[in-house]
Amino acid sequence: MPDEDKTDQTTSFSEDETRRMERVLDDTEYDTELGVEMAKDAQRVAAGELGEAEFYRQYHEDILEEFGEDDRELNGLLDDVGNVDAGDGEGVGDKLQALADEKDLSRREVMKKGGAAVAALSIFASAGENRAASAEGEGGDEYDGTRWGMTINLNNCDGCLACMVACDQEHKLSGGANWMYVFTYEDDHQDDENFLVRPCQHCTDSPCTKVCPVGARHTREQDGLVLTDYEICIGCRYCEVSCPYGVNYFQWGEPDHPQSEIPESQSQDERGRWVGARPPEGVMGKCTFCVDRQDGKMGDDKIGTTACEEACAMDAIHFGDLNDPESAPNTHLEQYKDEQENDMTFQNRKEHTVSTFQLMEERGTDPNVRYVGNEPSQDAEQVEGPVSYEDVGLVDDRKEEVLDNGAMANQEGGEEA
Amino acid sequence: MSTDVGRETLTRPIQAPSKRYVGALLAALAGIGVWLFFYYQQLSNGLIVTNLADWGSGGGVPWGLYIGAFIWWVGIAHGGIILSAAVRLLGMDTYQPVARMAELLTIAALTCAGLYIMIHVGRPDRLVTSVVPAWPTRVQWSPLMWDVTVITAYFVLTATYLLLTIRYDIHRLRDRLPDTFEPLYKALMLGYSEKEDQVVERMVWWLAFAIIIMAPLLLHGGVIPWLFALLPSMAGWAGGVQGPSFLSIALTSAVSGIIIIAAAFRYVYDWEELIPDQVFYGLSKWLGFFALLFLWLQLQQVMTGIFAAPTTLQHATEVKLSTPVYWVAIGLVGLGLLYIFASALKASLFSIPRIVAVSFLVLVGTLIEKTLFVVEGLQHAHFALYDGVPGHYIPSPVELSSILGAVGIVVLFFLVVSKVIPVVELHAIQDHHDDAEATEVSD
Ligand code: SF4
Ligand code: SF4
Repeated sequence: MPDEDKTDQTTSFSEDETRRMERVLDDTEYDTELGVEMAKDAQRVAAGELGEAEFYRQYHEDILEEFGEDDRELNGLLDDVGNVDAGDGEGVGDKLQALADEKDLSRREVMKKGGAAVAALSIFASAGENRAASAEGEGGDEYDGTRWGMTINLNNCDGCLACMVACDQEHKLSGGANWMYVFTYEDDHQDDENFLVRPCQHCTDSPCTKVCPVGARHTREQDGLVLTDYEICIGCRYCEVSCPYGVNYFQWGEPDHPQSEIPESQSQDERGRWVGARPPEGVMGKCTFCVDRQDGKMGDDKIGTTACEEACAMDAIHFGDLNDPESAPNTHLEQYKDEQENDMTFQNRKEHTVSTFQLMEERGTDPNVRYVGNEPSQDAEQVEGPVSYEDVGLVDDRKEEVLDNGAMANQEGGEEA
Repeated sequence: MSTDVGRETLTRPIQAPSKRYVGALLAALAGIGVWLFFYYQQLSNGLIVTNLADWGSGGGVPWGLYIGAFIWWVGIAHGGIILSAAVRLLGMDTYQPVARMAELLTIAALTCAGLYIMIHVGRPDRLVTSVVPAWPTRVQWSPLMWDVTVITAYFVLTATYLLLTIRYDIHRLRDRLPDTFEPLYKALMLGYSEKEDQVVERMVWWLAFAIIIMAPLLLHGGVIPWLFALLPSMAGWAGGVQGPSFLSIALTSAVSGIIIIAAAFRYVYDWEELIPDQVFYGLSKWLGFFALLFLWLQLQQVMTGIFAAPTTLQHATEVKLSTPVYWVAIGLVGLGLLYIFASALKASLFSIPRIVAVSFLVLVGTLIEKTLFVVEGLQHAHFALYDGVPGHYIPSPVELSSILGAVGIVVLFFLVVSKVIPVVELHAIQDHHDDAEATEVSD
C-alpha cells in the first residue's frame, strides 16, 4: 500500500483540501485512505513533481482491482501512459473519464462505482484551474464534482403554490416558514400577473456562509449545497441578515412538528451532520434543496429531485446537477436559449423572446438557481395571487399570524424538539 | 489640598454604606430582578416572546433592540476607554479624577455588551461549545467573530490597565481599606514593590498608546460598523461613513455616561473638591464636540441618501426621515448640543444637574438611533418585492426589560467596586512631593 508519508514532497495539502478529498471518497465504498493518497499524488503529477508513468506504476494494481472487469481497457490505458504528452490536453483523468463515458455511467455513478481510484482521479481532474477551464471548453467532460442547482421557468408557473405546500409537508415546517415562496407581482413593464418562485439560491459565493460566526451555515463541498448544521448554529441570525434574498426562517419558538415525526435518516446527511428537515428551536432554517433526497435517504430514485419539482405540474422547476450538461436544469435552459435568440433586456421584451437571469446578479452571490422569464424590477409590487396562501393552508405574514400571538400559542405546542 | 484630607475624601465610598447607597443598591437589584423575570420567559419559550420575526415573507426584523443595545454598550465602553487613554497619554490632568471611572465604565459596559449577545442568540447554551472550536477557522471570515475577539481583547486590555494602576493605590491606601477584603488585596498586590511604579507608568502609557492607535480600527471604529456595512443585502447599512459615524456616537455616549457617573459620586460623597466643576464644564464641551460630529455625520448620510441616490438607498433614507422616532433621537442630541453651546457662551447657564439631564437625554437619543439603525436597515432590503417589507417592529416588554437589567448591572457594578477600591485614583489628588512621582504634575 503506497501510503507512506509524503511530506518530503513540495506540493502541500491543506487540511481543508484533504478533508474535501476524504468527503468525496467517503461517498464510495472503497478505501478512503488509499484514495486520498492517490489524489495527492495525482495532484503532484499535475504539478509536475511526479511522472505520470511513475504514478501508474505505483497505483495500477489498485486501479485494476477496483475496476474489476474493466482491466482490458485499463491495461491498454496503462500501455498508453508512457505516450501521454502533458501538452496534448488528454491527461490520465480524461482517459478514465472517457472510459466512464463509454460505459455510459453518470458522473455520480462513476463516483459510486469507480471507487477510490476513479474518485481520486476525478479530484485530480479538477485540481488545476487550467484543466478545469479546458474541460469546460470541451463540453465539460472532466468530472469536477456535483453542483446541485435549478432552472426555474417562470413562464410556466401558474401560481398554484403546490411547490410551497410540498416543501412545507416534506420538511415539517412551522407556520410561515416558507422555505419555498412564490410571489405574484405586478410590474411596470410587464403585463398581467407575473410569478417569482423563490427557494434558497444556494449561492456559489454565499454571504450567509461567510458571516456565520461558528461555521454552522456552510457549503457542502461535494455538491455545493448550502446547509445549516443544526447542532452548531447558535441562532445569531447573522446569515439571515446578510442574505440578499430573504430566504431564512428562524425557529422562534417550539416547532409545530416534534422531532419524533421526522425520521432520523432525513435529519442526518451522508456526512452524519444534522442538516435536514426543519430546524429545532432557536436555530436557523432554510431550503436545503432536499438534502436527504440527494443523499439517497429517500431512495435512489429520489436522487436529483426535489419535493417542489415533483409537485410542480407545470414543469416550471428543473432540478439537477449543473455540472452535468445532460441534466434537467441545463437541458431546459439550453432548449429555451436555442429556441430564441436570448434577449436579456426584458424591459423591452418582445413576443417570443426569452430572457434568463440570476436573481439580483449584481449582488455578486452567483446563485445556483437560474431563471427563465422576467426578473422583477425595483418597482414590482407583490399582489394577491390566483391561489392565496390561506387557501392551501399556508401562512404568509409569519409575524402577524404566528409570532405576535406566539408565546401563548406556543405553550400549547407539541413535545420538546 | 492637603494630601491627608484628600485621602480621607478618596476612600469615603469605602466607609459604611449610607442610606443613599442602600437605596441605589435596592434600585439596581430591582431593575435586574424585573429583567430576570422577563428573561425567564424568553428562556422557557424561546425568542418568540420578543417582537422579532423574519424579514422577507415573514414581515418582521430578525435583529432589533438587543443588537441596538449591544452596539450602544460597546460604544460606551469604547468611548470610555478612549477617553481614559487620552487622559493618560496626553496628560490631561484635569480629567484625572474621572479616568478610572471611565475604565470601570468600560468594563461594566463590555459586560453588558456580552450579556446582550447572550440574550440575542437563539441558543445561548452553545455560546461556548460552538464559538470556541470554530474560532480558529471562522475568525478570518465572520465579522461577528471579529467582534467577539476584539471585545475580549479590549476587556483584557482594560482589566490589565486597571489592575496595574490599582496596585499603586492599594499599596498607599492600604490602612484605609477594609480588612474584610484582605485576601482580595493580597491577590491584587501579588509581587508588588514600589520599584515597579515607574515601570508600570511606562506600561500604562504604552497601553494607552495602543488603545488610541487601535481606536479607529477596532470596536466602533471598525468591526462593529463592519457588522453591517459589509453586507450585500441591506441598502441603509452600506457605506464607508458607518465607521466614523459609529465612533462619533460611541464617544458621545461615553462622555454622557461618565458625566452621569461622576456626578452621582460627587453628589453622594460630597466630592465637590475631588471632582471640581471644571471637570464637568470641560466634559460638557467634549460632549458638545462629539455630538456635533455625530449630527454632522448624520447629515452626510442623509444628503448622500436622498439626492439622486440609488433607488433602494433613497427609499431607505426617505423612510428614515419620515420616522418620527428618528427625529426624537436627533432632536435629543441636538437639544443637548444647543444647551452646551449656550452655556459655553454664557457660563452662568451651566449647572451640573442640567448637564446630567442633558447627558441622560443624549444617551436615550443614541440608544434610539442605534436601534433604529439596525431595524430600519433591515426594513429596506435591496430585494424589495416582499409585501411584508418593511415590516413593523416595536420592542416587546421582554426586550425592553433588558435595558433595566443592564443599567441595573452597571449601577450594581459601581456600587460593589466602590466599596472595594477607590474609584478615583490617588494620582488625582497627589502633589509633586507625594511619593516617588517625579513626573507627576497635579492641578
Ligand atoms: S440565497 Fe441566501 S441563504 Fe441561500 S445561499 Fe444565498 S445568501 Fe445563503
Ligand atoms: S443563525 Fe446559525 S447559521 Fe445563521 S449565522 Fe448564526 S450561527 Fe450561523
